[in-house]
Amino acid sequence: MTEQLNLYGSAFDSRLLVGTALYPSPAIMRESVEASGSEIITLSLRRQNPEQQQGKMLWDYIRDSGCQLLPNTAGCKTPREAIALAEMSREIFQTDWLKLEVIGDDYNLQPDPYGLIEAARELVRRGFKVLPYCTDDLVVCRKLLDVGCEVLMPWGAPIGTGQGLLNRYNLQTLRERLPKVPLIIDAGIGAPSQAAEAMEMGFDAVLLNTAIAKAQNPVLMARAFRLAVEAGRSAYSAGLMLKRQTASPSTPTLDMPFWQQADTAFQD
Amino acid sequence: MDGGHAENAWSSYLPRRTLRHYTKKSRINVVTNNNVPRIAIAGGGLMGRLLAWRLSRQGLDITLFEAGDLSTPGGACWTAAGMISPLSELVHSDRKIYQLGRRSLALWLDWAAELESLSGRPVEFRSAGSLLVAHGQDRSELSQFRRELAGKLSGDISAHLQTLDAAELQQLEPALENFEHGLYLRGEGDINNRRLLPVLLSVLRQQGVSLRERTPVACDSYRVEHQEGKSQFDCVIDCRGLGARDQVEGLRGVRGEVLVVETREVALRRPVRLLHPRYQLYAVPRSDGRTVIGATEIESDDMSPISVRSTMELSTALYSLHPAFAEARIVETRVNCRPATMDNMPYIHSEPGLLRVNGLYRHGYLLAPALAEKVEKIITEQLLQVA
Repeated sequence: MTEQLNLYGSAFDSRLLVGTALYPSPAIMRESVEASGSEIITLSLRRQNPEQQQGKMLWDYIRDSGCQLLPNTAGCKTPREAIALAEMSREIFQTDWLKLEVIGDDYNLQPDPYGLIEAARELVRRGFKVLPYCTDDLVVCRKLLDVGCEVLMPWGAPIGTGQGLLNRYNLQTLRERLPKVPLIIDAGIGAPSQAAEAMEMGFDAVLLNTAIAKAQNPVLMARAFRLAVEAGRSAYSAGLMLKRQTASPSTPTLDMPFWQQADTAFQD
Repeated sequence: MDGGHAENAWSSYLPRRTLRHYTKKSRINVVTNNNVPRIAIAGGGLMGRLLAWRLSRQGLDITLFEAGDLSTPGGACWTAAGMISPLSELVHSDRKIYQLGRRSLALWLDWAAELESLSGRPVEFRSAGSLLVAHGQDRSELSQFRRELAGKLSGDISAHLQTLDAAELQQLEPALENFEHGLYLRGEGDINNRRLLPVLLSVLRQQGVSLRERTPVACDSYRVEHQEGKSQFDCVIDCRGLGARDQVEGLRGVRGEVLVVETREVALRRPVRLLHPRYQLYAVPRSDGRTVIGATEIESDDMSPISVRSTMELSTALYSLHPAFAEARIVETRVNCRPATMDNMPYIHSEPGLLRVNGLYRHGYLLAPALAEKVEKIITEQLLQVA
């Protein structure tokens, strides 16, 4: 299936979004982005003294990738901080797309749901296309939709932990209860198999950074994630078989007397 | 240095026949001083100084141009902690950095001794290895480091690295009594840059290098342009770091912030790195009771003073190394930008009459000697090719 990913009226072929931080070098970052096939990349202005445009060299380098830029508000702890950084990012990167982060806990970088909803409401009002990084709480997700977010990015696990999908039950609930909302699993993905798992569950896309950037060979790992996301999505579209208790051979066992086959069938 | 002496040294440096050919031809387009090739070096940082020393030592006639003051260099070399750590750096960089670093470490051993005997002053080169530690909850960072190092060195790393338990760690570094685990990296060292750079300067004076301070220049093939006009040379070497940003494609500044603290209560014997999932810290002890603490790495060409946040991160990490650091005095904060190319690899560009060396990034003391050696070779070949 080559069904496209639709976010805020734009269509994308790739369902893998990647970050641009933590790579051994900008050159390896760009090569990895290419290998990942991503069309949307996140980047951060945080700590770069953006008023002075002193990180411009690198921003231009990232911009040259031709991808949709998704500036983030990484590290912001209050709505006010996040909104100010969002405005600055919009001006510098000339895009109203925004990955909204409002962090509530320093150690596991857990989103602050209250600050997040408040900031999202204001940013939507100001015309931003807000993609909020949120927890897997259904009610928080609903409130974010209520204030005007059209895409949600629930976490799989805390940022940078590589723990995968920690709460499958909550994530499954989100998917089932919000069937029409594009849901992107953001954060916590450490292995391609976990990305494939998220896609098999029917999530629309996966966003990650550390797992690729910190791999010993980031470019190769980017490719691995591209393949995993494609595989997971295809599997979801194709319709996964249900798990069964009893083995059923995929090749008919011709050498087995038919009454024995019947026996096993009756036991089903 | 008088001309005659220089000529002799250079004559022994080039094969005799070649030298004659070379000098014959050079009369046409370049200015030579008693047949000794004249080399201009732009940028009086670590790279510029080392090259000026090495090349003048070969008998070449060297002029060193520096935009600022040579006594207080404005470049990253003055800000740095002077670590020479091929193993620690290998984990987040290319294998070439490691190989160049190993070569540099060997060269520093000889060069430091030679500079000390020439100047009669210490440069405090130390090859006592370095230590990596992590707190209990971050212990996996040590295993991760081990794993990555093994991956990069593809094989047995026991020759390079030793895992330490609490007792072994304390024996090696008594101040680290709060740590249960550590890694000892044998092949690492450091040099006191605040001693080395003045020593290099005095050696350059001794060797008769012509020093042109407060002289910003533009570099071209065979030519250096400055306020007073143009000067011709047999070769120009551009080591201006970020000063050459318009000449080196993709050159950017990566901000680094450093604290220098002073205390008598706790003393380290060698560079120590604290591994943490988010904050990186190294502490490099100096002989005068000071410790250099670094360094942030921010993708921004920003020379403004250190931020509150970085000060907090660095000092919190330092405090977690040993609580006695709480009463240490912050005697200096340093900020600078490291010149880096987009692949974070060193950059050597060579064309007739012009060489550019740049992009030493966070690896100045790790790479400079090995790069200087390469540049020496290129210069020799260039001068020979003219012949």
